[in-house]
Amino acid sequence: MANESRLASWRRVVQENAPYLAIVIFLIVFPHLVGWITGDSPFGVGGRPRGQSVFWQSVLIEVFILTILTMSYNLIFGFTGVISFGHALFFGLGGYILGGALELVGLSPEVGLLAGVAVGVIVCGVLGFAMGLVTLRLRGVYFAIFTLAIAEMFFIYFGRLPLTNAEDGFSLNALPDLINPTRNRLTYYYLTLFFVVLTFVFIRRLMHSPTGKVMLAIRENEGRAQTIGFNTLRYKLLAISLSAMMASGAGMLHVILNKKVGPEILGVTYTVDPLLMTIIGGVGTFSGPIVGAAGLHLSERVLNRQFVIGPLTIDVGQNWSLILGLIFVLVVLVFPKGIIGTWTQWRTRRRSSIG
Amino acid sequence: MPQTRSTLMIVMALTLALLLFSFFTSRGDLGSFGTTILSGLFLGMLYFLVAAGLSIIFGLMDILNFAQGAYFMTGAYITFALFHLPAFQGVDANLRFPSAVAAATAVGALLGLLLERGLLRPLYARPIFQLVLTFGVAIIFGEALKAIWGTAAFSWSPINSFGIHQSGFEIFGRQFGTYRLFVIAVGLVLIVLIGLLLQRTRTGIIIRAGVEDSEMVQALGINVRAVFTMVFTLGCAVAAFGGAIAAPFLGANLGMGNAFLLPAIAVVVLGGLGSYMGTAIGSLLVGLAVAVVAKFSTEFLNQTVWSSITPMLLLILILLLRPSGLFGKESR
Repeated sequence: MANESRLASWRRVVQENAPYLAIVIFLIVFPHLVGWITGDSPFGVGGRPRGQSVFWQSVLIEVFILTILTMSYNLIFGFTGVISFGHALFFGLGGYILGGALELVGLSPEVGLLAGVAVGVIVCGVLGFAMGLVTLRLRGVYFAIFTLAIAEMFFIYFGRLPLTNAEDGFSLNALPDLINPTRNRLTYYYLTLFFVVLTFVFIRRLMHSPTGKVMLAIRENEGRAQTIGFNTLRYKLLAISLSAMMASGAGMLHVILNKKVGPEILGVTYTVDPLLMTIIGGVGTFSGPIVGAAGLHLSERVLNRQFVIGPLTIDVGQNWSLILGLIFVLVVLVFPKGIIGTWTQWRTRRRSSIG
Repeated sequence: MPQTRSTLMIVMALTLALLLFSFFTSRGDLGSFGTTILSGLFLGMLYFLVAAGLSIIFGLMDILNFAQGAYFMTGAYITFALFHLPAFQGVDANLRFPSAVAAATAVGALLGLLLERGLLRPLYARPIFQLVLTFGVAIIFGEALKAIWGTAAFSWSPINSFGIHQSGFEIFGRQFGTYRLFVIAVGLVLIVLIGLLLQRTRTGIIIRAGVEDSEMVQALGINVRAVFTMVFTLGCAVAAFGGAIAAPFLGANLGMGNAFLLPAIAVVVLGGLGSYMGTAIGSLLVGLAVAVVAKFSTEFLNQTVWSSITPMLLLILILLLRPSGLFGKESR
């Protein structure tokens, strides 16, 4: 009997998550599918990482990394209601610490990797905690100011630090073979995909736990959550530390993929991207960050060329950030719930009108 | 008011400490000391022009306008472009510059009006989105300037000079541009003018009352929304004006927005959010601090990075030590 009910509960889990499972299975097969259609092996052509399959793997790896970053941003902005204007700080700092452990300390690649990941995640978590501790007792805007200032400070500082080659940055050569994206692109693809799934499942578990419910309550009305007797500061600090750790992980995956560490990973792009992707995808939804990150990054890749409309020539690639900014303003004004939020709302309204 | 007196003591102590530090690190070279202080005042005035709008808008409308630095930058670009426009080269430079500044200020005002009326007004029920929106608008401004004028930094060449921009004077044997002194004077005049506007006019009284409690003002039958629009427009115009008069010395580049937004935020937090006197005094303090650190780090540490991150370090220090700022009320 016990076995049967366990089977039934598994079946229920599968049924409820059917769309997500389908996406994951599709993504697992995808490199082979592209390889089968185009004839380029997913392991590369002629022993080198070339061909259509490998190209699309790297595009999707970028999407996965941005998805993790955006999910981490959504945890504080979407679920807890805390705005940060310096998420690039954790992304970039994670990348710099991992890069430093691999290249500057003189450890063997395997030890350097483990040490860099451990130290980077912990440092970013502690930094997020400390930043929250200083400013979250004050009004919400102070945290936004503080994160913006510290991110900008690190960006300027690392841009001129001789140890890390200032604005040129340094490249990563001492990577363990297993995660070296030029040797084993497909392994790296599955690794990043695994981390996306892990982050997604973790955030969903968290938000369905009592702790997550308190975070949602803080977003809705912090004063009321306090009145009930919750120490709201503690929950906000937890959210920020977790988010900072995830963002640092995304930064590490990013520097390994590009095999380069430079100040641009601390730049405002990696603050603006997750912000836009969260809002466009859907603030405070589980699938919003995925839709936002995939939609924006893939459309950037696809639309990256010149369009000629009559006498006008519009270079979308050159002006992508401007276009993104305009889309962003439009979404905030017209669809503040983003793609997923608007869709859910529309669906429930239709269902209720039918039923 | 004992609280104000102790605050003034702190301000005086900080100023004195900065002056003494600068004096001793200039190693008896009065010229170097003098130019450091004057560049501090120059920077302080520019910070004030960005921070004034930031502070009053925040006090009144509870919006921290993260696009304020972008307005400054836009002012600088427009002034630079108009002054160097080939079509206007026939006009006398002494006339061309003020008209370019006036045009930049007008564009700043117009863009401010558009932002408040078109984008922020629909969002008063959702304050978090207002904050996010101003941040997004700052990005759009930067990207639009990049699309129009490219990424290269513009610097104002001496050939394209005009009246006071050409001349300099000596202070204990060191050269200092008269133009920067002119900016300091303009800044001081504006500090007094805006102060008078707030203290002596009916509009000013409404603004100050609105900072205290805007709902109460609304309840008394005054159209607070109209005052919001006016203050926002003026704040953006003043920031654009700041960029415009900074252009002959700083040129125009895409880093300017953040380079002035963050010090201005430091100023506003140091002065106390919403306090006008705090903003005026705070900008001079932050300007002095940046100039003194810049001088010290180039001479003794042989690095320029410290002066760029001074505003952020100051901001962090203030938030750690006295988050309510010098003249602020309790900041919760």
